Amino acid sequence: MKWTPFLLVLPAVAYITIFSFFPTIDAVYLSFLDPHGGLSLKNYQELGYFNVEGAILDTILVTVGALVIQLALGFLVASVLSREFFGRRALSTITIIPMGIATVVAAVTFSFIFQTSGGYANTVLHSLFNVNVNWYQSPVSSLLVVMLADSWKNTPIVSLILLAGLSSIPKELYYSAAIDGAGPIRRFIHITLPNLRSFIGVALILRGVQEFNIFALPLILIGDHPPLLTTLVYNLYTTTFPEVGLALAAATVLLGFILVFMGVVIKLTGGGSQ
Amino acid sequence: MKLVYLGALIVGAYFLFPLYVLVLLAFNEPSSTLLAKYPSLLPLSLTLNNLKASLQGSEFLDPFMKSLETATLVGLVTILLAVPAGYGLSRLPRSISYPFLVLLLVTNMMPAIVIGIPIAVEFIKLHLFESVIGLALAQTLVTLPIATFIIQGTFSSIPVDLENQARIDGAGLFRRLFSILLPLAAPGIAAAFLISWMFSWDEFTYAILLIPFHSTLPVTIYLDVTRGNLLAGVAFSLIFTLPVIVLTFALQKYLRGEYLAGGIKG
Repeated sequence: MKWTPFLLVLPAVAYITIFSFFPTIDAVYLSFLDPHGGLSLKNYQELGYFNVEGAILDTILVTVGALVIQLALGFLVASVLSREFFGRRALSTITIIPMGIATVVAAVTFSFIFQTSGGYANTVLHSLFNVNVNWYQSPVSSLLVVMLADSWKNTPIVSLILLAGLSSIPKELYYSAAIDGAGPIRRFIHITLPNLRSFIGVALILRGVQEFNIFALPLILIGDHPPLLTTLVYNLYTTTFPEVGLALAAATVLLGFILVFMGVVIKLTGGGSQ
Repeated sequence: MKLVYLGALIVGAYFLFPLYVLVLLAFNEPSSTLLAKYPSLLPLSLTLNNLKASLQGSEFLDPFMKSLETATLVGLVTILLAVPAGYGLSRLPRSISYPFLVLLLVTNMMPAIVIGIPIAVEFIKLHLFESVIGLALAQTLVTLPIATFIIQGTFSSIPVDLENQARIDGAGLFRRLFSILLPLAAPGIAAAFLISWMFSWDEFTYAILLIPFHSTLPVTIYLDVTRGNLLAGVAFSLIFTLPVIVLTFALQKYLRGEYLAGGIKG
């Protein structure tokens, strides 16, 4: 009888293992094979021709940038929603909508907002400051468009987590700090941040890993100019199919970054434990 | 207190603006949207022609049906696996169920593009490439951990005493499941199904890797937009979005930070 729960869990775990772990290990193994079936670093050396360094840098830039934007906006949303005011419920519904919007749809919409000619962002800028911006002029501004689109879609989940964290902090802490003369900024640094550590950690792990993986957004918004690791993997895969070694080498680099990132965040935020 | 309203205004505008743009694009003449150097922020030339032309002109029904079939299949396979797993985990001691949950969630963090390529290579051999079944099998990877987690939480909230009572009365596992546990867990299971459906409806990476030629709606939108068929891309985006917005409202109470945070903290 004691074994029944294990038996019930088994199919799901087996499914995940077969479809997720084995392909991942397979991918890493195949990336070290040369066309003749011997182990080599050939695929990794060849990646150099495809600007893999650039793709790595861009991926890190987008990940860090998007996380900073999402944390900042998430704090803004959470601190607004943690107060009582007229219209709070309506606003909390509005802030959750982008979560349900498909990534592809978000990408298409933002591509119309940030068009160089005929873009809505330029309509706003033109009527306010009489300027017209070419958003795809430099790699950094292209990547900024990707970060903004991604943040629109994913800030809701960060705000939800931060809001849960904010509501777990006892109000007395703020009262006594206020009595001791601490201003809003000092209260934020000395009370809010330390108490939210594990919640910020959860948000960073959840979003950070996805951030390394963003694929549909950059593919639609910037194609592979500049390339991210994911778009590079896809590009190498489609052009060299069925020779998948090169794409898998890039994929393995991506996997390495994700594992390192998770390790760092878990260490910094105390393992997400209390 | 005024500051809150200012913040609320900024936050509200930020989240609604892109949706407003999508609606403008869908219902205005192209001359005042796509073709204008500075497209108007007001609905100046309302029309239904864009939607009509897009729905008649290009292939819409096939990708739409494929998305529908895939999402429904993913929902069913997910529930079939997640209900027993969720129940099993809810009846195991925390020290054992926690590592299982972490294992499930960690697999959710594996990049789809890393998993997708070896799977695609296998599927070509197995004749599952370009098939809805193959795609659904892969997309279940994304939904299964989340669904298991939700269902586990639902079963955990049902008092064990209720079950023990039935056990004393001589009800076997299946009897207990069908007459007591499943009816009580129904809302959680429904939520898990809808969330799985929603995630699969949106999924792009596995779709473009495993079923690249006659694909689901997200891939069709991508292809339309990159081939310059912009109005079709906009129209499909809107149609694509409506069911998901309805579901988001329906599921709002399940989409809570406490659940997500609790899942990782254990």
